[in-house]
Amino acid sequence: MRILELQGVSAGYGPVRVLHDLDLSVNAGERVGLVGLNGHGKTTLLNTIVGLTGWQDGSIIFKGEQIGGRRTHGVGRTTPHIVRKGIALAPQGDAIFPGLSVRENLDSGAYSGATWRSRKRRREKVLEVFPPLAKLQRQSAGTLSGGERRMVSVGRALMADAWLYLVDEPSLGLAPKISVNLVAALCEIDLGDGAMIIAEQNVPLLEGRVDRVLGMHAGELKLDAGESLGDIPPSAGVHL
Amino acid sequence: MIDVLISAAVLASMYGLIAIGISFTWASIGMLNLAQGFIFTAGGYTAWLFAQYAETLGMEGPALSVGVLVFGMGGSALAGLLVGAVAFLPLQDRANFRTRSLIATLAISLMGTQLWLVLFGSQNKPLPPIFGEGRFEIANAGISSQQLGTIIVASFMLAAVIMWMRSSRHGLQMRAMMMNPLGAAVVGVSVRTTGMRVLAISGALTGLSSVLLAQVFFVSPTSGTQPLVIGLIISLAGGLGSIPGTVAAAGLIGLAEAMTARYLQQSLVPFVLFGIVVLILIFRPRGLGGLLEDVRE
Amino acid sequence: MSNQSQRLIGRRAYRPHWPVNSSRVFKRRRWPGTKRSILKLSGRYNPKTLRREMVLTDKKPLFWFVGLLALLLLPIGVSTDRIYTMFGIICIYAAINVMWTLIIGTAGLQSFATLATVGVGAYGAGYLSVTYGLPWPAMLIAGAILGGVMGWLISLPARRLDGLYYALLTLGLSEFMRNFVTQSDALGGKFNGALFGVARIVPSDLLTSSTGQALLYGTAFIALLIALGVFRWVNGGRTGILLRTAATSKEDEAFASALGIDFNKERTRVFIIASAMLGFLGAFYATYIGGTSLQIFSLELLLLLLAMIVIGGLGRPEGAVVGTVVVVGITQWFTDWGPWRIMLVGALALASVLFTRNGLFGLKDQIREIRERRKALHRAAITGRYAEYLPQQAPEIGDKSEIVGRVFERTLRARLRSWINPDLIAEHQAKPMGQHSDHLERMLNYFRKAPIPDKYAVYCEVPFESYRVVALSGLPGVPPRIVDDKIYPTLDEAYHAVFLRRVNDLRAS
Repeated sequence: MRILELQGVSAGYGPVRVLHDLDLSVNAGERVGLVGLNGHGKTTLLNTIVGLTGWQDGSIIFKGEQIGGRRTHGVGRTTPHIVRKGIALAPQGDAIFPGLSVRENLDSGAYSGATWRSRKRRREKVLEVFPPLAKLQRQSAGTLSGGERRMVSVGRALMADAWLYLVDEPSLGLAPKISVNLVAALCEIDLGDGAMIIAEQNVPLLEGRVDRVLGMHAGELKLDAGESLGDIPPSAGVHL
Repeated sequence: MIDVLISAAVLASMYGLIAIGISFTWASIGMLNLAQGFIFTAGGYTAWLFAQYAETLGMEGPALSVGVLVFGMGGSALAGLLVGAVAFLPLQDRANFRTRSLIATLAISLMGTQLWLVLFGSQNKPLPPIFGEGRFEIANAGISSQQLGTIIVASFMLAAVIMWMRSSRHGLQMRAMMMNPLGAAVVGVSVRTTGMRVLAISGALTGLSSVLLAQVFFVSPTSGTQPLVIGLIISLAGGLGSIPGTVAAAGLIGLAEAMTARYLQQSLVPFVLFGIVVLILIFRPRGLGGLLEDVRE
Repeated sequence: MSNQSQRLIGRRAYRPHWPVNSSRVFKRRRWPGTKRSILKLSGRYNPKTLRREMVLTDKKPLFWFVGLLALLLLPIGVSTDRIYTMFGIICIYAAINVMWTLIIGTAGLQSFATLATVGVGAYGAGYLSVTYGLPWPAMLIAGAILGGVMGWLISLPARRLDGLYYALLTLGLSEFMRNFVTQSDALGGKFNGALFGVARIVPSDLLTSSTGQALLYGTAFIALLIALGVFRWVNGGRTGILLRTAATSKEDEAFASALGIDFNKERTRVFIIASAMLGFLGAFYATYIGGTSLQIFSLELLLLLLAMIVIGGLGRPEGAVVGTVVVVGITQWFTDWGPWRIMLVGALALASVLFTRNGLFGLKDQIREIRERRKALHRAAITGRYAEYLPQQAPEIGDKSEIVGRVFERTLRARLRSWINPDLIAEHQAKPMGQHSDHLERMLNYFRKAPIPDKYAVYCEVPFESYRVVALSGLPGVPPRIVDDKIYPTLDEAYHAVFLRRVNDLRAS
């Protein structure tokens, strides 16, 4: 089953066009890696799926339902509605709630009635994926370190009953060891009938852990490398 | 002394509800709702209409009281939704939202007074007493059932709202919304829907205050102005967005007013209140609860 | 070209211009005693008619002149009581609003203390007149002093408080003052806040005649002129210019203060001057009517004034005046509508804030912005990444030869790009200076004719030993920036590095 299908999708901010007529499809149970240098459109692609870009055009079909279309204003106005159809995004920069505790941050991810009622169980599952958060539960999220924040952000995305998980640069700004653990944990989650797209600059992190790798360059998808990650030039994932 | 405290508590209850409505709206959606005067009067008139209707039915006693309270809160909640539809929804994702919504609510305020004038005339309308006529004795001082009822109902409503905010899903979403709009969008919190809820709740609180205040004064087209200003300066002194600070400030202001009325002169009350607020703001420019706001930003 | 793209063709504003005799010297007319020109004229050469001509670059003084002249002559011409009252109120409220615009726009302080200050001037000067028999000139001065002092007092919290808090505090101030006046016996508590018997600027006995009426209106008009003059003096003068260096954001302000601009001092200065004027206007109002009333402190009047500046456009004096005309026109003319007048005003203010960016006078900018945005979106959608210009842009570019130049450059670049190949690069590496093949020579000519800003150059650190590649800035006094940290041991290698960078840029463009 096709979870996500993009056809002829363009998007940008104001007069700048970032994505140029993209086509993409993701099937159930797939874990897709999206690689490319900064500024080439990975984040914009993920944002376009949930409607957070300045303007977008083209067809986006999620589980058979059209969620894209031509939109020229109102950044993020339709995002909550799109998200509630079953897409969970862990955005670049985390976007967690600094005044709430870690537990409350995670709980906010269980936003529908059903998920809210089962939030305790879900929280425990997330804590299994990210054990360091267990003893931080009552701590205010504004006081966490970068890695812990990232875990809260990704954990929050995992709290929902999502069909499609979008993770934007999980290793950004984190120490190598932490990012290895984070991406490994992310890639071990059982997707069931859902799918996951991970946008990453650091190509070696995804090696062997994802089903497919797509390269993004200047707003266009260049490689559909089910083949080897070796085809991607080393400079495509420069990690400082 | 006890009667001063009682007075203080009553005043704090009545004005504090409006102040919390203002504070709460600001904390959640970043809008300063200066149409609270309009919302206040809306509740008063709705309650009055119900009272008129109920009198023809011959209703009385607790049923009448509950009805008056419910209709007062409901009318104000509706007015709050109206204000939201006009001043919040259209401006919410555009530039300069803060200033523009402020001006929009002021414009609604301007229009509202005239609307009540047209609909109900300039005469004062009384509300039936909802707490009965009894008197009680507490520690050597007399307290009327109206005063006791006011304190109890206000505190109860406030506690209920605060508890709901802390433990419910929607409450959590409201708290989260202002902290990080992107984060809120990503967890399916629509600022528009949640904002309207916030306005309805703060409207209901204001409506409650209106009914309680109307036990002492009357409902008239301009009856909302003074409570609005007092509610404003209380929420200023308490720190916009800090519920604990606002509660503390309400208590302080209530105490100040009661003490001034008792030991000095009633006419000096505005001076004292204003002076206290200015003093607080000099030493704590963000109000009493200002510290808490820094965490949020 | 389709209809849609025709709608997107740009436009240039019309400026009045007239031909002049280029052999005659143009005498610049200035305001006497100053160095400021009366009109902003500039000479230019009209490429179409091939003649020298004068252009008026700023049409605003014309509009002001016509508007103010109409404002003066209309009521005197019509000469009925009703019109005189209405226009008198227009002048006074407009003056107050212009000063309020100075506070909100130039100083950027969101203060609602306007009417409180006016009231202080009115009641203060009125009290002095009633008790001590002050004549009206002294009253005006007293009003200004009282206003200034009050302004200084209220400006103190402005530094400590956040803008929003300050706005709310000042909103409460009017209520507080109203209470104060009601309680105070001396200030008219006995008559419910009204003060009578104040010295009048035009003696009461004269007022029954039509010349008296005209004279009275004239004084109000002069008050408006004074207010506008003060606005121009502050806003157009040094203070206003300094404050406008950081009009847009807090970061700009931090940057500008690092350059030595003391924003607090300038803001306080504007606030005190505006408050002094407001006190003056309050005192003037007292002499105009011969008394004062509590209405000055009412929230409703304050909201009406707010509606006036919102409808007209925040931050602009023309907005303040026109907004006042609109609102006072409605409230004074349609008296039989009763409360519906104010509902209408409120509705207009609401519509203004909901649909316009900045009231009536912001409409032009708003429409232009909407059009620009649509054009930009349209262009982003239909062009590839690096189109130089679209035919629709042509009317916007004044100098048409620039268009030809751009088209030529584009063709040239495409051709040069097709000549890039490893042989060419190797040829340059072997011999950077000297005789080259035809293709290489043309390419080098093109590179060497590039404009200076951001042009690559070679920087000699140690002669014959180390060279670097830098990019020239093109601005006087600004040093070139170092492009990377590679050091080249010979000049030839440096030349080749520059060449490679230029070729890369050509390829990417």
